[in-house]
Amino acid sequence: MKRLIFFSVLIAVTIFSVQMAPAQDLTSLKEATRGIRSVKAEFLQTRSLQILTKPLFSEGRLFFYVPDSLRWEYFSPLRSVMLRKGNNIKIYNFSNGAWTPEMPQAVESRRMVLEEISHWFQGRFDESKAFKHFYSPGPPERVILVSNEGINRFINRIEIVLSARPGVIDRVEIEEPGGSRTSIEFKNVEINSSFSSEVFEKP
Amino acid sequence: MIRRKRLDICLLGFLILSIGCVPKSKPAMSPGSLEDLSGCYAIFPAEPWESVHKIEATIRGSSSSLLGVTKGEPSERRLQSVLLSSEGFILFDAERRENGIAVRKAVAPFDSPAFASGLMEDVTFLFLPPTTEPTTWGKETDGTMICKWEEPDNPHTEITGSMDSGWRILRWDKYGEVIKEVVLSGPFLNGLASRMELRASKPAPYRLRMTLIQAFP
Repeated sequence: MKRLIFFSVLIAVTIFSVQMAPAQDLTSLKEATRGIRSVKAEFLQTRSLQILTKPLFSEGRLFFYVPDSLRWEYFSPLRSVMLRKGNNIKIYNFSNGAWTPEMPQAVESRRMVLEEISHWFQGRFDESKAFKHFYSPGPPERVILVSNEGINRFINRIEIVLSARPGVIDRVEIEEPGGSRTSIEFKNVEINSSFSSEVFEKP
Repeated sequence: MIRRKRLDICLLGFLILSIGCVPKSKPAMSPGSLEDLSGCYAIFPAEPWESVHKIEATIRGSSSSLLGVTKGEPSERRLQSVLLSSEGFILFDAERRENGIAVRKAVAPFDSPAFASGLMEDVTFLFLPPTTEPTTWGKETDGTMICKWEEPDNPHTEITGSMDSGWRILRWDKYGEVIKEVVLSGPFLNGLASRMELRASKPAPYRLRMTLIQAFP
């Protein structure tokens, strides 16, 4: 019986420490990303919805340049691109052989998303206005973002799984109220490769 | 003699022109038989299904691309509709039941009650047949089905087409004006059209172009 209680406490402490450890090592995480000027990667997004028997897959790529230039692009099933350069945000959809700008209301609603993603690539989790962050040393090393009041209507938590390569994100898991989930797996990640700044301006 | 010839030529010309102006006779429509009645429902899924569509919405000159997920239970006339942004965020999630619409989630600008009822009305129009039997129906000799749901002083609906040529659904208001038009194009996958285009004219004009991405029975 004593052994059972001991193991129960051990399991509870382990789970708690994984989910809610203070961000004591975020400083070293930031340090690891200090040398990163740019990120280029491809990704596979798996969207699991309560309404769907099978998940929905999306493929895309991203370009990031410090501190706040981001291109987040989907090739399928909807071809679209979100561009951020400073405070300037543009979204385009590819339709009938041409890029068409997204409605202004839809652009503003993505501003927070793009700002958050930009923080992730620089280890600036403490600058988030929407999430509290917790660090888990792993392995694999993880940062858990728990949504603040208001955001929790849409997202419960985000888990960012870090690669053994300093500053590289392997996977992002997003949990929503109601049981829907999104998993984004990054591949072919290139750090500090060169590309034209036009990728942040033109679709 | 010459005058007679001229008159003959004029008459011949007039006759040719007249033939050209005679309206092409409509293929004879056989009266509605019970066999044909099922054709009025051919474009609506008969079994429970779930589908994902790419939606290109054009409203007041602005356009937006979305993903539309629909799940239906035709026997209970239940529908669930979810709109996703291209990144996969849920913008709108609602269910239509017999006793009304339950909105689970709605993000601006999709959060007004008018949007919810309008969207669920469109989804119902696209995926569920009218609740009553058609008042008239029949099949033309070329295989085209014509089904009409008419009630005096009420909105009415007409479905025409065939699996080969595609289908058209028209909805009139009580003033006799077309308020919605849907064009369905094949091939049909699990009872769902590969492409659908909905044009609405009232109260505000908009167009939805939908392309089927995946469907499960």
